[in-house]
Amino acid sequence: MRRKISWRNLFLSVYGWLFLVFIYVPILLITVFSFNSNPVNMMIWQGFTFDWYRTIFGFPTELNELTLYVESTDQLYNAVLNSLTVALITTAVSTVLGTSVALAVARFRFRLKNFYRALMFMPMIMPDIILGIALLIFFVSFGFGLGLHTIIIGHCTFLSSYVFIVVSARISDMDDSLEEASADLGADGWTTFKRVTLPLIAPGVIGGAMLAFIISMDDLVITYFISGVDSTTLPVHIYGMLRRGIKPEINAIATVMLVFSFIIASVGLYMRSRKK
Amino acid sequence: MSKAHHTLESRRKLTLFGLLLPPSAFLAVFFLGPLAIMIVYSWLTPGLYGGVEWKFFHLNYGRILGWADTKYERFDPVYFEIFLRSVKLAATTVLLSLILCYPVAFWVSRMPEKRKNLVIFLITLPFFISLIVRLFAWVLILRPTGFFNQALMGLGLIDEPLEIIFTGTAVIIGMVYVFVPFMFLPLYASIEKLDLSLIEASQDLGANRLQTFFRVILPMTLPGIVGGSIIVFIPSLGNFIVPSLLGGAKVVMIGNLIEQQFLSARNWPFGAALGMMVMAAVLVLLLYYIRIVTREERQAGGLKVAEEVAA
Repeated sequence: MRRKISWRNLFLSVYGWLFLVFIYVPILLITVFSFNSNPVNMMIWQGFTFDWYRTIFGFPTELNELTLYVESTDQLYNAVLNSLTVALITTAVSTVLGTSVALAVARFRFRLKNFYRALMFMPMIMPDIILGIALLIFFVSFGFGLGLHTIIIGHCTFLSSYVFIVVSARISDMDDSLEEASADLGADGWTTFKRVTLPLIAPGVIGGAMLAFIISMDDLVITYFISGVDSTTLPVHIYGMLRRGIKPEINAIATVMLVFSFIIASVGLYMRSRKK
Repeated sequence: MSKAHHTLESRRKLTLFGLLLPPSAFLAVFFLGPLAIMIVYSWLTPGLYGGVEWKFFHLNYGRILGWADTKYERFDPVYFEIFLRSVKLAATTVLLSLILCYPVAFWVSRMPEKRKNLVIFLITLPFFISLIVRLFAWVLILRPTGFFNQALMGLGLIDEPLEIIFTGTAVIIGMVYVFVPFMFLPLYASIEKLDLSLIEASQDLGANRLQTFFRVILPMTLPGIVGGSIIVFIPSLGNFIVPSLLGGAKVVMIGNLIEQQFLSARNWPFGAALGMMVMAAVLVLLLYYIRIVTREERQAGGLKVAEEVAA
C-alpha cells in the first residue's frame, strides 16, 4: 500500500480543524467566563466564582446590588416556565397534526395530495419574520389578545411542517407490505394501525416531536411578535436583557442553556444510533 | 363480496377524512388565514394613530418602489436601498458559508466511518444550541472590551480597541456563525454521493485539477450548493435579531425596518408591504431552485435512458 500524504489532504484537515475551532471557541468562552468573578469587565479574568450561578438560582451572594440586574429572578423563572409550557403543548399538538398529514399523504390516494405536500412545505421556506407579522396582524384583527395561547398556535403552524417532513421521511423508508400482510391476516384497520403502523413509524414520530420541542424552545423571531407583555419566553427574555446591557449573569444563564441543549442533543443522537 | 369491498372503501375514505380534517382546519385558519390578511393589509390605508382604515391604498408599495409623492406618504429611495443592502448581506452570508463549508464537507466525506459520524455530530451540534446564546457569544467576543480586543491588546498588536461590533462586518460574522450548520448538511450530502471514479476519469483524460473541479466536481455537487444556499439565504434575508445585537443602530436591514413598523412606528400596512418584498425575493429564489432541480432531474433522466439504450 502506498501511503499518500498530499498537500491537499493536509490543507483539508487543517482547514477542517480550524472550522471546528471557529464553531466551538465562542461556546467555550461563554462557559469559561461564566465562572469569572470580575463584575465590571467580563472578559478579564479575575478569579473563579459561582456567584453568577447563585444569582440566577436565587441563592444569596456577596455581590452588591449595583452589579446585579434590577430585574428579579421571578421574571427569568416565569420565562422558563412559559417556554416549557409552550414547548410541551406545541410538541403534542404539532406531532399529532404533522403525523396525520404524513400518514394521509403516504398511505392514501386522493386528488389534493400535491396541494397538501406544498402546504406542509410552505411554513418551512417562509422567512420567520413574515410568519411572525402575519400572525400578529391576524391575532390582533380578530381580537385574540396576545398571550401564551397565541404563541402556542403560532408555533403549531410551522412545527407541524417539521414533524410532517421527519415522519414522511420515515414512512418512505418503510416497507408497506407489512401492513398489507396484517390486513390479509384479518386485522381490521385500527388494529393494523396500532400494532403494525404505529410501532414502525414511532422512531420518526419521536424524532419529529423532539425536533419540534427544540425549535419551539428556541424560537425567537415569531414569538417576539406574538407574545404579549406578560408572556415572554426564555429566548425573548434574554433578547430583552441583551438589548438593555450585557451583564455577567447572562453568561451563567447561557451556560445552563448550553448544558440543557447538549443533553437533549445527546439523548436524540443516542436514540438514533440505537435505532440503527 | 362487492358489498364488503364497498364498506372497506368507504371506511378508508372516512379514515382519510379523519386524518386530514384537523390539520386542514388548523392550517387554513392559522396559517393561510394570516398570510391572506397580511397581503390584504399591505393594500390598506394606515390610520392616523396606528391601526388601519379599510380603504384601498397603493402608496404603501409606492413609498418603496417610487410612485408616492403625495403629502402624507413620500417616496424615499432609502427603503429600496435597505432592501438591496439586505439582499447583498444575505448573499454575502451565503457565499462565506459556502466557502467555509465546501472544503470541510470534502474533508469529512473522506474520513473513516466512525470518525466521520463523530465529526458530523460535532458540526451539527450547534443546531441544537439556542440561537440567542450563540449570538451572545459573539457580542462578548467583538465588544470593545471583548475577548478579541483584549487578546489583540494583550499581544501588543493594537493600543486601542478596534471598533468591530456595530459594523456590517460584525453582522456578517454573526450571520455566518449562526447559519453555517444549515449549509453543511446539504453540501455534505451531495459531496458524499460524488462518484470518485468520475474524478479519476477526468484526470486520466488529461484534465488538470482546476478543470476537474470546475467541469466535474462543481456541476455534480450543484444541487447541494444551491440547496444549502437557499436554506441559508431565507433566514438571513429578513433577519433582524443579528443586526440589532451586532449591528446596533448603524446597520439597519429590511428585517429591522419591518420590526420598527410593527412595534414602534405602528404603520402596519407599510410593514406588511415591506414584508411582501421579502416574500417576493424568496419566491423568485425558489422558482429558480425548482428550475435547476427539474433540469437536473431531466438530465439525470436522460442519462438513465442513454444507459438503458446502451444496454
